[in-house]
Amino acid sequence: MNDEGGVDARLAERIGLGQTEALGELYDRYASTALATALRVVGSREEAEDVVHEAFVAVWRKIDRFEAERGSLRAWLMTVVRNRAIDRVRARRPRIDLDDADERSLLRTGPNPTWEAALARASGSEIQAALASLPDEQRHAVELAYFEGYTYREVAELTGVPPGTANGRLRLALAKLREALQGSSGAPLAASEPILSEESGR
Amino acid sequence: MTCERLDELAASYALGAVPPDEERAMSEHLATCDQPHADARELIGAAGLLPAALPPMEPSPALRARLMATVAATPQDHRRRAPVNAPVRAEPRRPWWQLRPLPMALAAVGLAAAVGLGAWNLDLNRQLAERDEALRAVASADAAYAVAGSAGSGWVLETDGQAIFLADALAALPADQLYALWLIGPEGEPVAVGTLTDTEGVAFATLERELGSATTFAVTVESGRVDAPTSDPVLVASLEG
Repeated sequence: MNDEGGVDARLAERIGLGQTEALGELYDRYASTALATALRVVGSREEAEDVVHEAFVAVWRKIDRFEAERGSLRAWLMTVVRNRAIDRVRARRPRIDLDDADERSLLRTGPNPTWEAALARASGSEIQAALASLPDEQRHAVELAYFEGYTYREVAELTGVPPGTANGRLRLALAKLREALQGSSGAPLAASEPILSEESGR
Repeated sequence: MTCERLDELAASYALGAVPPDEERAMSEHLATCDQPHADARELIGAAGLLPAALPPMEPSPALRARLMATVAATPQDHRRRAPVNAPVRAEPRRPWWQLRPLPMALAAVGLAAAVGLGAWNLDLNRQLAERDEALRAVASADAAYAVAGSAGSGWVLETDGQAIFLADALAALPADQLYALWLIGPEGEPVAVGTLTDTEGVAFATLERELGSATTFAVTVESGRVDAPTSDPVLVASLEG
């Protein structure tokens, strides 16, 4: 994983120097995951490709905001894809200020040894299985939040529960995902305290 | 934003499911709080896992070509924002050419020397038809040093002791300013080696001195030819190694 992070850090450096071929390499590494994410949100392949195109152009333009020590290029790219995809489908809601959203995303996209280790070790189908093993209400909350772009308050409204409960479901879901992926490898992902084990009920 | 509230919302934050104002407050809190917030930090990055749970989809081959064409025509924000009109800082400080290392990321610049010259050359060949002298220098250069910074990027090429500076798409300057070129020796003293005003297309200038023992090449924005730089460099190259 460190290697992967190292490759990405070097790519970020080269993209920062204006080397278009480095952006091409980033595309070759992540376009298929980016397209899958965009397609999951927007539902149309043509529109999903437009989203991926916009996202890579945004990373090219804004690369100077990215710092390898403070973030994961892959995680940021995927968030930039998600921001754009969600912006397309939320015509019914206020549009997203994408520049602002991309910058905010930088601060919550790692790098984090726990999740990067899980990503490096688990296959896509294992991660999929871990998601599928979540209780329905937790998986639904994650899907509404991540793939449909709803805030925890909106998830609460949509599912008819208090905001604290929606937030608690997201928290439990991430805890279980971590646990499941930890279990799949037999090795600890990271030394840490267990996170909240019950819904806050707020 | 209290510590308690931040810990409570950490999972929603990690999934990008907190309203923008609250998210900004959480980021600021995490950046400045002296509490460890280990649980919250542990969750950051979790969202990166979710795309991996989807079966990958191969994009159409046309998408890559479209992207590369767009990118080639799209300036990066940090080049667009070249601080060519930035006021000179008033507080007393050591001049940048005496700082070790130089204030710009020389280490990162070195990387470009190994990669990218080939691609850049192709572009250059197309644009430089009328500048035979520069083209010959590129073709026969004994050494090439990557130059980069906020104003753009380029190369210092050395052939038979003569050095030229080449740059593609340098940030344009107001009519009353020019790019001043400097060689900085091992003692940290800058020597003026020319100026550059024409930034249209591929810009180039023959340096007035050999590289000799110079360790750094730098470019500043000045209002005329001066004996010593009056502003921070907008381009630098390490000439060592």
